[in-house]
Amino acid sequence: MKKTSVIFLSLLCFGLMGLSSSSFAKEVAYLSLADYTGPIAGLNVPADMGLEDYISEVNAKGGVDGIKIKFIGIDTRYDVARAVSAYKRYSRTPRLLMVNSISTGIGKALARLIERDKRAQLVPGDGEFQAHLGRSFIWGPAYQDAFAAMMDWVMDDWKAKGKSGAPVVGYVSWDNPYGREPLRGGKEYAESLGIKILPPEFFPPGTLKHDVYLNRLAEGGAHYIWAGGVDPTPTNIIRDAYALGLTKSIQFLNGYWGPTALGIGVHAEALEGTAIVSFFLRGEEAKNNPVVTELWKKHRGSFDQFNEVYGMGMSWGMTYVAGLKSALEKTSFEKLEADDMYKAYQRITGLKRAGLQGPCAYSPTSRRGSLEVKIYRVKGGKIVPETDWRKAPDAVSLHKF
Amino acid sequence: MRPCGVFDKSYTQDMAIIRTWQHWVILLSALILLYLFPLFGSYYLISFMNLLAITVIVVLGLQIVSGYCGQISFGQAAFMAVGAYTSSVLTVKFGFPFWIALPVSGVMAGAIGIIGGAPSLRIKGFYLAMATIAIHFVVIWLILHLDITGSFKGLYPPSPSLGSFQFDTDERMYYIIMTVMIIMTYCARNLVRTKVGRAFVAIRDNDLAGQVMGVSLYYYKLLAFFVSCFYAGIAGSLWAHLITVVNSEQFTLLHALEYVGMLIIGGMGSIPGVFFGVLFIRILNEVVMFTSPVLAKAFPWLGVSPAAALGLTAFGLAVAVFLIFEPRGLAHRWEIFKASYRLYPFAY
Repeated sequence: MKKTSVIFLSLLCFGLMGLSSSSFAKEVAYLSLADYTGPIAGLNVPADMGLEDYISEVNAKGGVDGIKIKFIGIDTRYDVARAVSAYKRYSRTPRLLMVNSISTGIGKALARLIERDKRAQLVPGDGEFQAHLGRSFIWGPAYQDAFAAMMDWVMDDWKAKGKSGAPVVGYVSWDNPYGREPLRGGKEYAESLGIKILPPEFFPPGTLKHDVYLNRLAEGGAHYIWAGGVDPTPTNIIRDAYALGLTKSIQFLNGYWGPTALGIGVHAEALEGTAIVSFFLRGEEAKNNPVVTELWKKHRGSFDQFNEVYGMGMSWGMTYVAGLKSALEKTSFEKLEADDMYKAYQRITGLKRAGLQGPCAYSPTSRRGSLEVKIYRVKGGKIVPETDWRKAPDAVSLHKF
Repeated sequence: MRPCGVFDKSYTQDMAIIRTWQHWVILLSALILLYLFPLFGSYYLISFMNLLAITVIVVLGLQIVSGYCGQISFGQAAFMAVGAYTSSVLTVKFGFPFWIALPVSGVMAGAIGIIGGAPSLRIKGFYLAMATIAIHFVVIWLILHLDITGSFKGLYPPSPSLGSFQFDTDERMYYIIMTVMIIMTYCARNLVRTKVGRAFVAIRDNDLAGQVMGVSLYYYKLLAFFVSCFYAGIAGSLWAHLITVVNSEQFTLLHALEYVGMLIIGGMGSIPGVFFGVLFIRILNEVVMFTSPVLAKAFPWLGVSPAAALGLTAFGLAVAVFLIFEPRGLAHRWEIFKASYRLYPFAY
């Protein structure tokens, strides 16, 4: 009996201690609905590692004005039902100020609930979120903006090669909403430059060989081919093109989810010369960024497993911290609500994030995380910058959504 | 389930599902509790119950075609998509009310299911499984390439309404979803006790023997697919109007696999088994979802991503453990419990 009482009292004490520490600590929450085990896990895992490390660093230094950030990472497996369920599970978390819905499908499914809860969410890059301004903020420029920026580079490259007339561009990507998004406005922009876009080729995610699509584009006279999908898909497309001997005559192009350190480590030879448009630092630039280097070394150690998407995750963290500071300028912690963060995100226009991506472009009329992109090339098994930051054209406005 | 010493005295008693007044009390209490649940249940629990009930309807359909009729199907997610899109198209593009769109979605999914089930007349087992996977991809491809389905952009179906009353929250949708689930469960429970149900079981156990006895394989196999897909279609319609957005990414092969996993864990050929399997997997999912951030906090060296990735591992492990140690699923454990209860307090 005595033993039981001691155990009971001990448990009670621990419980009360836990309660007191959680109830009275100043804390705000960030919910990441990410795919840690599904088709885009290769992107989500390192990105959230960057965010998680950044947040733990901020917390270790005392938080934002004494307020700690609680990071909640949930594996959605790219599944809308799981994401919606998770959102509902955590939506009543005290001071849940931001939700990162990592997949366009999840972002669209949650948009109604986010509006209802007067909250804000981050979503990858679907132009529709810019076309219809709501509470969804995209991470960088929209997919079509990045595609348009690449078309600008294509024209520069075409002229630099001393070619006349206009180039022909092929497009191959996943047969899903994400795979088709860059063409919604991007196609209109390319055509306005005089570029001919061949009939696009789409294939189901998970396809292992892409020869038939590539051959069709090559026969159509493509000078450039945009390889869509999320890495490792673009890497696999270019691997197939290399095996077919197409990389000798056709310049391959990629969006911002194109080859990362992961793909290049495996197929460096095939990817040689590939161009990538990105709104966040890639390859060697990311690895050499002092802020990234410091955090990675401290939390992860060796650079063997480094992926540049880590820096993008850090950038989310920096934006969140800036948003929180801005919100706290307008209201006290006690009165802080998710809606304050939504408003704050519209005030942090121009925020610089250690050069990890261009200045923040969120504003009352913009849901773009930044407007700048860089073109990178794969050279000697490394991703190196081809251009400096350049403004991505507004391709969203060219399309009727 | 009868206590020891209670015997049936008539054919009606023998056929009754609810056999004693105590059972009636329990059943009615459970139903009242179910309908009163939104008054005291949290928002999260209500939304969880909605998801649970929709999944029960889908897996009930799968139980009929796979558990009772023995036709393996990996197309259930695609047929759910057919229902979701039919309902969305009818309400968004043609202005039909939800109440008409709901049954039509079931019928449409059932009709497509007959086409999908046609290969079962020539092939079975592994080959049929492959054929249903092919159906899955064909359906998803069509959804992506037809204008009427909104192509890759998807559709935004409205919330159901009754007069001026909108079922626009999880709490309100709960009543529709639960009512439909109860009706569908009642129908499934009774279907398997009819001549049709016995024909399904005959096909499952030995189709050649069944055919010799006069069971039309052609008719009953296609009927099983129709009924199964009808269930999936109804579930799809409920899902679409609950979440109010549909796109092809919501219906993946992984979902179809998960439904089969639920069937294995719950037990093939058992209606209560459907509830056990769905509950087990859904609760497992929620537990993993809930514990992964806690695990990541307790063991920082683990990191949040690997901790969260426990979900798939847990699902795979659960299915493997059941296949090895209890291939007849949780329903078999339930049967053992019932048998013991019938004998209590005697040992045998």
